[in-house]
Amino acid sequence: MVQYSTALDATFLAVADPTRRGILERLGKGATSITDLAQSFEMTLTGARKHVAVLERAGMVTTEKIGRVRTCRLGSNRLDSAASWIAIYQQMLDERLDHLEKFLKRTTNHSR
Amino acid sequence: MTTVTTANDREIHRERIVNAPRDHVWRAFTEPELIAQWWGRGHKLDIERLELYRGGHWRYVEHAPSGPQGFEGRFREVTPQDRIVRSFEWDGMPAHVAIETVEFEDLGDGRTKIISMLILHTTEERDGMYNAGMEAGMNAAYAALDRVLAAMA
Repeated sequence: MVQYSTALDATFLAVADPTRRGILERLGKGATSITDLAQSFEMTLTGARKHVAVLERAGMVTTEKIGRVRTCRLGSNRLDSAASWIAIYQQMLDERLDHLEKFLKRTTNHSR
Repeated sequence: MTTVTTANDREIHRERIVNAPRDHVWRAFTEPELIAQWWGRGHKLDIERLELYRGGHWRYVEHAPSGPQGFEGRFREVTPQDRIVRSFEWDGMPAHVAIETVEFEDLGDGRTKIISMLILHTTEERDGMYNAGMEAGMNAAYAALDRVLAAMA
């Protein structure tokens, strides 16, 4: 269960936080620097870096360092794209059916 | 056993045959204390709302390691032992609504076939709907609002 949930959990973790959802929304309007993100969301640079790192692990944001500025933009795992949406719901549905099957196996054997 | 069929790029279709009688499967989908034991994919699940009738609300919260994740919608059809149709929305993608249909087929030998279907409404389709008539509807609604506001003034 744990091994095949990893990608989905990274996505869950990324969107679980309102600040990170805000960052995604902001980046939907165009690329920006970590410094700008820290200012817009009234947090420290370290805080902004941490949030961006979580989004980066989920593939939702990519970053690039040019000179002294680290620029962030939306990555390939775009929640608002139909492809990501389908992939996420597909994985959830499959995992649920797996768990349902296990549950039925367990309880049907007991009741017989 | 699972059969995967992709009808098109916005539909998820799964069929699975389980070794359990249909009544048992129906209960697993409709009784809160049973739903809680599998729907959360191994995580703790809170059934916050389950109004099992046409128009009724449902809302489950899955406690994943990354934090709570809410899922909710409204029932469109509840036909005992046979079929459930409902809207399906995840808090992580608010207002991205899918329609979920689950059908239960009694195979007559103590096994049941579960047919599960999710149809997603893409951004493009929402935009299409907007262009195709929602704008006219909105304009009519705004005109009505204008009349109400004018009457109040």
